[in-house]
Amino acid sequence: MDSWIIVTEAGPVAGMAAAARELGGTVTAAVVGPRLLAESTAACGCDSVQWFSTLDSVPAESLALQVADLVAAASPRLVLALDDPAGRVLLAVAATRLGAALVSSVPGLSVEGEDLVVTRPAVEGKVVETLVVPGALAGVFDREDVDVVSPVPAAITEVAPSGMAPSMRIIETTVAPGEAAGLQQAERVVSIGRGVRKREDIALVEELADAAHAKMACTLPICDDMRWYDESHVVGTSTQQIAPDLYIAVGVSGQPQHMSGVRAAKVIVAINNDPEATIFKKCHFGILGDLYEIVPALTAAFKRA
Amino acid sequence: MKCVIAFKWAKNPQDARVSADGAVDWRAAKMVASDDDAAAVVVARDLAVGDELVGLTVGDGDVAWAAARGATRTVSVADVEPNADSAVLGEVLAAGVRRIGGADIVIIGDGVWDQMVSMSLAGQLGWAVVAGVVSATTEGDRLHVTRKSGTGTEVIEVGTPVVLAVAARRAEDKPPGMKDVLAARKKPLEKVAMADLGVTSVGGVTLRGTALPEAADARIFDGADPEGAVEQLMTALRSEGVL
Repeated sequence: MDSWIIVTEAGPVAGMAAAARELGGTVTAAVVGPRLLAESTAACGCDSVQWFSTLDSVPAESLALQVADLVAAASPRLVLALDDPAGRVLLAVAATRLGAALVSSVPGLSVEGEDLVVTRPAVEGKVVETLVVPGALAGVFDREDVDVVSPVPAAITEVAPSGMAPSMRIIETTVAPGEAAGLQQAERVVSIGRGVRKREDIALVEELADAAHAKMACTLPICDDMRWYDESHVVGTSTQQIAPDLYIAVGVSGQPQHMSGVRAAKVIVAINNDPEATIFKKCHFGILGDLYEIVPALTAAFKRA
Repeated sequence: MKCVIAFKWAKNPQDARVSADGAVDWRAAKMVASDDDAAAVVVARDLAVGDELVGLTVGDGDVAWAAARGATRTVSVADVEPNADSAVLGEVLAAGVRRIGGADIVIIGDGVWDQMVSMSLAGQLGWAVVAGVVSATTEGDRLHVTRKSGTGTEVIEVGTPVVLAVAARRAEDKPPGMKDVLAARKKPLEKVAMADLGVTSVGGVTLRGTALPEAADARIFDGADPEGAVEQLMTALRSEGVL
């Protein structure tokens, strides 16, 4: 059973290739973007790369039909893409051409006889559901990356442009205000949520961030409702996604729209006084207690470290 | 430009009941508009100025939701249930858009509860699509669409016909008043069935079952002793190699 992966942005491409590997057949990558993206994908554990070069002013979506034609001609059993807007567009157009089932979240899959079996969280993570797909499957890969050990880069074949004028073009690009807060590059980030009771109390958490050499972030209500920080500090689905080594969430309940912004963090620590807080199911380590007692103790510990 | 707003095509997972054995009961849950739907209708109203804005919805729930927010009439495909195969709903909505006919732009919530329905709709119409849309304006016969990108925002120029999948930043801030809600119920509503649209697909995915997730592997330290909990945490972070 052969697979294709569609790549339009950097992300957990190696994890996606590893998931496609589960089917036992070849894994071909369709990459739409700069040469650098094709090269990084070639080192991610796929067998070959079909590269569609684009100008900076042409969004990857413009090539959706051309990519779909190439994928459909190979008639793979599985097509995976990441959840960036362009990746989703290309996946859906390819799925339509293939007549494949389309599943919005595929954390991993296995083969049972002739069936593909997808096990994924559902109902906001309250259950795990098992889906059986007897035919072709197109899905959004939804799991963390894996490390590829000494890969032999796959061969890259450049696909000739179709000659058709692009249906859309980028006429303006604005860098996210998140850059101002330095969260994209930060190795450590401390964030606050509504568990912090008063504006004056932020100083307590900022002291922790200083001691930990971390940048400060917050949830959307802290910006929109409380106006304690500007938008550049907000992390979540509708704002920015970050990938620090260490993310310490102070008084954050762990709503899906916030947690999707830190999914790529290596280690997530939660400090919360509510044992039922969702974040305790989504973190690696937690301290159940009063943040007004825990944070000063943690600040002191970082100062000693 | 003539716009179709596709709305209320999913159930809110918060309305589902999960029992101790991991079974999910959706009986009390109806199709509802999401925050993305609310953001989409705002974009749709701006683009449809001077032309028609038609609502398109499926399943049960409030069919007059878009009419209360500016749609002049609504088409509802009533006999539709949620499906794990997003292509099924994409096909139903695409057939609905074709039935309405003459649309320049279809606006739909990007889909916080299922991020592939909007994409599948576009794929099945064979139209261009922009996802993660924040706002859009008309510039002559073309659109300037602002959408989120990995590093910020982009403004994309695109012609019609086009599908715009709009992502909400937050919950709807100005829900319509009672007067608009009551007036909406008097606006034209056309109810059709999947068979009327020629849609027979049941999808390519079977749900085998649901179960409770395995216990989280998070290590939670008791903060009743702040110093002790912090010490344990620091030891754990050291062993993870992040200190």
